[in-house]
Amino acid sequence: MADKSLGLYIHIPFCLQKCLYCDFCSYPAVAEEMRSAYVAALCREIREAAPILTDYLVDTMFFGGGTPSLLSAEEYLHISKAVFENYRVVPSLEFTSEANPATLDDEKLTAMREAGINRLSIGMQSANAGELSALGRVHRNEDVFTSVEMARRAGFDNINLDLMFGIPEQTKETFATSLEAALSMSPEHLSVYSLQIEEGTPFYERRTFLSLPSEEEESEMAELLYRTAERSGYRRYEISNFARDGMECRHNLRYWRMQDYRGFGVSAHSLIGDHRFFNGGGLSTYIHDPLGIAEEEELLSPAMREYEALMLALRTADGVEDAAFTAEFGHGFAEKYGKRIAPFLSRGLMVLQNGRYALTKAGMSVSNGILREILDEM
Amino acid sequence: MTERQKHIRNFSIIAHIDHGKSTLADRILELTRTVGAHEMEEQILDNMDLEKERGITIKARAVRLFYPAKNGEEYTFNLIDTPGHVDFNYEVSRSLKACDGALLVVDATQGVEAQTLANAYLAIDSDLEIIPVINKIDLPSADIERVRGEIEDVIGIPAEDCPAVSAKTGQNIVDIMEKVITDIPAPEGDEDKPLRALIFDSYYDSYLGVVVCVRVMDGSLRAGQRIRLMSNGAEFDVVEVGAMDAFGLRATECLLPGDVGYLTASIKNVSETRVGDTVTTAADGASEALPGFREARPMVFAGIYPADGARYGDLRDALEKLQLNDAALSFEPETSVALGFGFRCGFLGLLHMEIIEERLEREFNLDLITTAPSVIYKIHKRGGELAWIENPSNYPAQDEIEVAEEPVVRASLITPTEYIGGLMELCQERRGEYHDMKYLDAGRAELHYTLPLNEIIYDFFDALKSRSKGYASLDYELDGYRPSKLVKLDFLLNGDPVDALSFIVHEEKAYGRARRIAEKLKENIPRQLFEIPIQAAIGSKIIARETVKAMRKDVLAKCYGGDITRKKKLLEKQKEGKKKMRRLGSVEVTPEAFMAVLKLNDE
Repeated sequence: MADKSLGLYIHIPFCLQKCLYCDFCSYPAVAEEMRSAYVAALCREIREAAPILTDYLVDTMFFGGGTPSLLSAEEYLHISKAVFENYRVVPSLEFTSEANPATLDDEKLTAMREAGINRLSIGMQSANAGELSALGRVHRNEDVFTSVEMARRAGFDNINLDLMFGIPEQTKETFATSLEAALSMSPEHLSVYSLQIEEGTPFYERRTFLSLPSEEEESEMAELLYRTAERSGYRRYEISNFARDGMECRHNLRYWRMQDYRGFGVSAHSLIGDHRFFNGGGLSTYIHDPLGIAEEEELLSPAMREYEALMLALRTADGVEDAAFTAEFGHGFAEKYGKRIAPFLSRGLMVLQNGRYALTKAGMSVSNGILREILDEM
Repeated sequence: MTERQKHIRNFSIIAHIDHGKSTLADRILELTRTVGAHEMEEQILDNMDLEKERGITIKARAVRLFYPAKNGEEYTFNLIDTPGHVDFNYEVSRSLKACDGALLVVDATQGVEAQTLANAYLAIDSDLEIIPVINKIDLPSADIERVRGEIEDVIGIPAEDCPAVSAKTGQNIVDIMEKVITDIPAPEGDEDKPLRALIFDSYYDSYLGVVVCVRVMDGSLRAGQRIRLMSNGAEFDVVEVGAMDAFGLRATECLLPGDVGYLTASIKNVSETRVGDTVTTAADGASEALPGFREARPMVFAGIYPADGARYGDLRDALEKLQLNDAALSFEPETSVALGFGFRCGFLGLLHMEIIEERLEREFNLDLITTAPSVIYKIHKRGGELAWIENPSNYPAQDEIEVAEEPVVRASLITPTEYIGGLMELCQERRGEYHDMKYLDAGRAELHYTLPLNEIIYDFFDALKSRSKGYASLDYELDGYRPSKLVKLDFLLNGDPVDALSFIVHEEKAYGRARRIAEKLKENIPRQLFEIPIQAAIGSKIIARETVKAMRKDVLAKCYGGDITRKKKLLEKQKEGKKKMRRLGSVEVTPEAFMAVLKLNDE
């Protein structure tokens, strides 16, 4: 049997301070001892999960957070060693770490390279000082430029910049400036998210007082983004992701293609075959026993797998390929969903190209609405 | 007059809303000791929840009480409750006909108010002896002397020795009781004349059949008698007669002149026992009925649909149950392309309609969608055919119509003189035809207009009240049909006509109405994936247009490994919300939005 491919996700739930919009699992300003204890637990989970994953060849890895770049040089090395010693890894591995621009220096970047990391995802968010402070970010705009410069020097030839729009007080002009600033650094990849006010965040608490851009302004920003990115040679390959040819994030594509991934660390999610699960519990529970806390396990039924596959594939520019869909689910996409998608095809929200059904630009902006119409009841 | 009659007093309590009518009724019940204080439910007379909440009494009821007077003799009091809205004016007038006097309750802190006046004049019209009662004297802001003056000046009845009481504390209630004996005349009537009894209310009881509330004017009524209802000639054998006390029905041997009580006669349907009708004996009956009978005819029609189509059967059962007790309610099945299966229902007026809707929703747990109210139009088609149209969906095409006629009413508005200008303007706006105006006294006038019924069924009553600070009153009766330039206004969503939104309107009003409803639809239709054109049309001519823009943004920006389960839940939740939507053609509308459009005010 041919080797199956696997992505590994490693969650680093620490940050300098929690951003006001963040609803990810992250603990601000944690003591160093706690962090080393966590890294030890992480390495243990990585090691002990290995025996049942021997069929797999790891071809992507991703340090996410939180702020993974808070890890010391030694900790980076320690964790990646745990992976390389216990898993089979392809030579063409894509290995990403997220990074906060305020936490990078030459030494750490060099250590990251030594640890095998070859892709850096930098949380720039905005080039506007007022907006950065409104978001509760700890970094300054200059830090981004310095970070990218240092990263290039350290040998990173695959850099992503994260940007946001729909920030309180943001205007089309300030967004345009941020976008230009990002492009001036010639990143290989851009992720641009529209701000979502999530429950349980400080932004949610004061949502009625935030002066957010109007829907109209926000859609103008989106238009500007799509135009500018395309003109600058970036292809929008997912709702919020843009890349130069061949520089798409392979790790993230696994999520949208429902390819296997194993998440390590507190709150990390995994999909192995039809088995979806995640590490629940808090930080101390995890440190105490990194193996015993899988929560909300779910065995995907064929119907559920189909539901998720569509929900995720329609986020991407590649969309759903009818032939592959038939091969996997035993019935054609058009055969089953033809009637439901007809109005979207005729109104330009969806398009059929080379046997693939995908949402158009207009369709992507309202993808929830389209999915509500298309997907089966669950 | 017999000794028995001399010891009977029949009266009702009339009041402006919140002036203490129900509390006073409770105190009177206590004082007469027919009901023990601990057994008494609050406000026995208003025995429907809805009435309690709205502070209006919907159906009349009567209670018999015994009062040991200061003169040492015992009197029988029949306290008759009355509804209080123009939709039920006729029923009020019949209830008052069963009385010989009325207590007019006035709040000592508020003074004479709009409804006080309207009710007082209804009572005066019925030749009742009126005893003003100043209530709420326990409140610090009570001003008895000022209110006494107002009763004399504004209503024009003497009030120098009228009782000043607190229904809440019970203070001086005895004064009222004694005043009832001295001031309200004992009932007239001759036992030896042929039977004539006035029906002032009836309701359906699942054991007894219809219970008919009557006031005997002449003759006697007893079990075993064969009776005839004089309006329709229907005959029945009386099973039981009796009186109603606070606990229910009490059978007696007979009812004699002056008595207020009930009869049962295995009657299956309240529609046979019409309020205002006269009961007489089948053999040797009276030759002449009591004056003033009017058939309660539905004047306003609307489609009522269950929000959940599966509950059509429940709605039918509920309407059947309500109809058992409400002869004025009519309904028959109808279908709408937009709303599915429902019923076209007929009502006395708009309040009657609202009460029925509320009872259906509250007592039967139904979610309803009600279409815009309509009246019955009389359409002379080319070729001589005559059609009565109560459902806009059945309105013929314009080129098939020779002449269209609409019902009109003769309306009389009584108002303090300072609001005359505003009310004349209102009547003008509603295509009213002015007849005359009479000054009733220095401060009040009565205006007479002929008004199209379809102009007053929407919100005329509300407009009247708001333009007169609540003081003007309205009474109207149907006055036949008049030719009129009517058109049918249709609404199209996304190019598809929505039948439930169509209505008939006067040509001159069509444009304004069309524009307002189109705007209102736009406000109330949630944005959808596609742009939705809203059009208003007369025939094939579009006269107003609005657009609901397409949704700009409905997307989850981030969806990585940890977000997938959450995203699934979000979609499922949104799909749940979607199920509650109603589809009109290809457009989704919340049931609330639909209602908001239909409840359009003409402001």
